[in-house]
Amino acid sequence: MTKPNTGVLDPQESASSEIRSYATGFVVSLLLTVGAFAALLSDLPTAWKIGLICAAALLQIIAHLRNFLHLSLAKGQSEEDLLLVLFSVCLLAIMAGGTWYIMSDLSGRMHETSSSGAPVDQAPTR
Amino acid sequence: MSENRLYPGLNLGATHGEAHEQAETTVFGFWVFLMSDLIIFGILFASYASYLDPMGMAGGPGPSDLFDIRSVAIQTAFLLIGGIAYAGVSLTLKYMQGRGKLIAWLIVCALLGAGFLFFEVKDFISAAGKGGTPQASGWLSSYWMLVGLHGLHVLSGILWILAMIVQIATRGVDDVVKVRLSMLGVFWHFLDLIWVGIFSFVFLVPLA
Repeated sequence: MTKPNTGVLDPQESASSEIRSYATGFVVSLLLTVGAFAALLSDLPTAWKIGLICAAALLQIIAHLRNFLHLSLAKGQSEEDLLLVLFSVCLLAIMAGGTWYIMSDLSGRMHETSSSGAPVDQAPTR
Repeated sequence: MSENRLYPGLNLGATHGEAHEQAETTVFGFWVFLMSDLIIFGILFASYASYLDPMGMAGGPGPSDLFDIRSVAIQTAFLLIGGIAYAGVSLTLKYMQGRGKLIAWLIVCALLGAGFLFFEVKDFISAAGKGGTPQASGWLSSYWMLVGLHGLHVLSGILWILAMIVQIATRGVDDVVKVRLSMLGVFWHFLDLIWVGIFSFVFLVPLA
């Protein structure tokens, strides 16, 4: 913590901190993976299961980026990498999120009757 | 975090001089490629999610008919441990602990990747046996495309690992090999990250 910032690193010390970072990432990933599978096998309502699985996936992706790919918001990280990742995620959110939203909206509007299995009786009220 | 990081993945560090500098541009370029790969996977995830309804399945077999949760768990374990095993390669490379150890860790990674592929192919064969071929429905086309593309990536990762083992054996651990091993590390960890999305959204969510 209070060591002088001489720019010279003790290799032994930095090696053990790197091993600790990988180990943390591994334990966190393992717990989140087991958690997601456990959520599936539990007796929770479906919406809860899906919520838990998605949350675990998101957290695990963050853990992978931080501990295995060594990307972080901290100083000392080259800025281009972070900007590139954020830009790609932005593009992905627009394209993949947009695709999913439009297609599910369309399917909701077009297949309303067939997915519920019963024909819609009520005529338009106007 | 006093060390200056120039690129994603475990950096070689200033003691590697030339290779550390060289890795900055090369690994960044490779990272750009991986982000375009991420876009492809993301779009395939979106189409998979769009097909995930009775219309998309078109009367063909559905997730509960085809997916074997135990096999998915085994594949996840193989890939997660295979990903963490690459930490051995990165650390051995960074602290120059010798060729033999480097090759040994690479072989561990390749074997775990091969174990993953074995179970994945087995799943594909059993799915096809139950009528879950890609042409059966839109949902199955997107399933084969997404999971198959990830499997192809793992296969190319294994081939890359084998190529690196040959290069380490023939030319030694020179600057070029160091940069290539840094790129391979980023690639290998990236595949692990995509698999997190696949086992969660492709296998677990439809079964929930």
